[in-house]
Amino acid sequence: MELFKSLIVIIMSSVLVNNYVLSRFLGICPFLGVSKKLNQAVGMGISVIFVMVVATLVTWPIQHYVLERFNLGYMQTIVFILVIATLVQFIEMLLKKMIPALHKSLGVYLPLITTNCAVLGVTIENVSELDYGFLESVVNSFGCGLGFLLAMVLFSGIRSKIDESQIPASFKGLPVTLIAASFVSLAFFGFAGIVENLFA
Amino acid sequence: MKNKNLSILLKGLLTENPVFVLILGTCPTLAISTNVIGAIGMGLAATAVLICSNFVISLLRKFIPDSVRIPCYIVIIAGFVTVVQMLMQAFLPELYDMLGVYLALITVNCIILGRAEMFAGKNGPVKSVLDGIGMGLGFTLALLCMATVREIIGAGSFAGIEIPFMKDYTISIFQKAPGGFMVYGFMIALVYAVTHGKAPRKKEFSCENCPSASLCSNCQKKEEA
Amino acid sequence: MKKYLRSIISLTAVCAIVALLMGVTNYFTAPIIKQRENDAANEALKVVLPDGEGFEKIDISKYTLPTTVDEAYSEKNGGYVFKMITAGYGSNFVIMCGIDSDGVVKGTKVISSSETLGVENEYGDKLVGVTVETVDGVDTVSGATKTTAAYKNAVKDALMSFDILGGKEVDIRDEAQILADKLNAALPQGEGKFSKEFISVRIDESVSAVYKAENGAGYVVVLGEIFVGVDSENKVVTADVDESTKTTATDTAKKLESVTLEELDITNLTALPKQIQKVFVTDEYNYVFEIRCAGYGIEGGNQWHPASGEYIFIKLSLDKENKIIDCITVSQGETDGIGSVCADESFYGQFAGKDKTNYSQIDAISGATITTNGYLKGVQAAFEAFEILNGEE
Repeated sequence: MELFKSLIVIIMSSVLVNNYVLSRFLGICPFLGVSKKLNQAVGMGISVIFVMVVATLVTWPIQHYVLERFNLGYMQTIVFILVIATLVQFIEMLLKKMIPALHKSLGVYLPLITTNCAVLGVTIENVSELDYGFLESVVNSFGCGLGFLLAMVLFSGIRSKIDESQIPASFKGLPVTLIAASFVSLAFFGFAGIVENLFA
Repeated sequence: MKNKNLSILLKGLLTENPVFVLILGTCPTLAISTNVIGAIGMGLAATAVLICSNFVISLLRKFIPDSVRIPCYIVIIAGFVTVVQMLMQAFLPELYDMLGVYLALITVNCIILGRAEMFAGKNGPVKSVLDGIGMGLGFTLALLCMATVREIIGAGSFAGIEIPFMKDYTISIFQKAPGGFMVYGFMIALVYAVTHGKAPRKKEFSCENCPSASLCSNCQKKEEA
Repeated sequence: MKKYLRSIISLTAVCAIVALLMGVTNYFTAPIIKQRENDAANEALKVVLPDGEGFEKIDISKYTLPTTVDEAYSEKNGGYVFKMITAGYGSNFVIMCGIDSDGVVKGTKVISSSETLGVENEYGDKLVGVTVETVDGVDTVSGATKTTAAYKNAVKDALMSFDILGGKEVDIRDEAQILADKLNAALPQGEGKFSKEFISVRIDESVSAVYKAENGAGYVVVLGEIFVGVDSENKVVTADVDESTKTTATDTAKKLESVTLEELDITNLTALPKQIQKVFVTDEYNYVFEIRCAGYGIEGGNQWHPASGEYIFIKLSLDKENKIIDCITVSQGETDGIGSVCADESFYGQFAGKDKTNYSQIDAISGATITTNGYLKGVQAAFEAFEILNGEE
């Protein structure tokens, strides 16, 4: 029960309070680039959740059973990025062979995720700053991905409204998008403190 | 010839500023711009990686086959990032703690991979180093602009030194996430207003090498223009 | 094929060169990083032991130290720094304690704490300069007894650990542990589970307390410093006890075993004080009262310490001369760490032997006037009830 509670706290924290996009600024490029259409936003979000969880499943054991054991902590960044890149390639090939339908809907997003800093960020944070156990790390990765999906979906709705409005010329395009992102991020401030009092 | 080298150096600073004009490296720009010291540290760390990676990649450009180009670039960049990380942890531990995970994330900063792909992979070492210096300083300059605004308004100080009047009237939201998005939005709008929207539409500077290019709305717009 | 080979070779070569570069950098920076981390850790240790230098962590698993010790560091001049984790008023709190080579506390610091009162930081200064002999003499702070007592005990544990690491033999058991060990030695059949027996009959004056084995194996009769075990067949099992002590112990056990309590019907005795819940009478005509007192849980309450709505329940026995034989707190809902002291033997144990003229001459619970007053009213009610019951009869 305690474990279940702590996992709920981790998810709530990573989705709402420490949302990767809106309060940690990780994964901004796809957030700004691919959030224009709802279906693209959902596809990208689901792919990110998938890759984050799979990447954590692989990188956590690597960190704890290989890098730390052989005193190679400094190789972390290079190993993780290569593992993630290889993994994404591998998943794409596998999907293409095994589940072509899923590959058709998600396949286009997978290569974009290799250089997504949110994926590298979550795998590194799980083993360094947060120092979670295996289960907690996987749940945290899932939560971060979910937070990314949430931000993408919410924001795609807002962007469709922005397109219809009259905006000063120099604010057209990216500037107004960023200012809208600022307000969404401000709205997420309302979740501050929710985690501490979740089971109080 | 000399003039041309100078223009390579300068374009990164102004006309092709990676952050404000090319809209690259947004994550660290937003995250590490709450204070001036951190911004300069981040900018210089990225500059160091950029210069080294550009130099090495331009030297190896004829040796590396096209098919494994990108993995090689990533390995080289990640290697230099780790070297910078270790040096910083040893000699500037406070800065190291301040930058946290974002230091490791220089690896996936699109500015560095983008420059490797677009410039260092096609030009000689001297030019590549100049490009690295220009782009790196441009990134640092942009971070510095953002951080100056956010630190003065948000914390009433500059580089940690308190400003007598401002510190009584701080708007702390500028230190937080919404302030980052807001200031960045206004900065880009300012650049658009000054350049009348011309600069970012030049096709050859677009982020077409970014893996997101096929879907990215920013990129598509530029191609249309 | 050649193309693939070239790709593989070049990628491997790049990886190898980069790995070499990283390895070389690591070779040069790793010692510096380690040194820096050590320095940073030492800074924290220097706060509590300013003259210390060259701190080194000790493997404490080799020693039997009090359980509150989490980490220990030695330094060149023979001093030690201990990191202690102890339970305070709220959850755990963590303190550092620096002790110099003479066994004198040079500094203490609270590292993390969720204590509500904030007194512990000032209290730490009071503990500077104490030694293992003088630490007990430092008073706790009234109103924050539990927090400051926990702090003091942690420092005491640190001082004892200092002696242990210095090679001295130290008894690290706390009072409860010592008592439990003595009881177990006196009556091993009790299997370590004893509860204090409530006395409702007059027993020999030399007996200071009686403990009953929870499994019914017998009693442990305490005569001053001597613990005498009496088994269920009323035989003394403790060795090296002289005959007169043996007789006292067996008599006491026999008497307690044979006590019968008869409950009186008090429904018609409306004159009895309202605190009196139940009255029993023994075959020696001593009274046993179950008393409900209104303490802070009923009468008190403020925004920091809300009233719990719970009464204090006490059990009290009076002999024929209207003198208290024994008194015990059964349950209470007073403020934790303040009024809850009324459940400690150090408080209720004071009433034994008192009568109605001097029962209020006890050490009140500091910072808990409402609790003390409610308790005293409950005791007073017993004396009144005694008179009413005797008058009726």
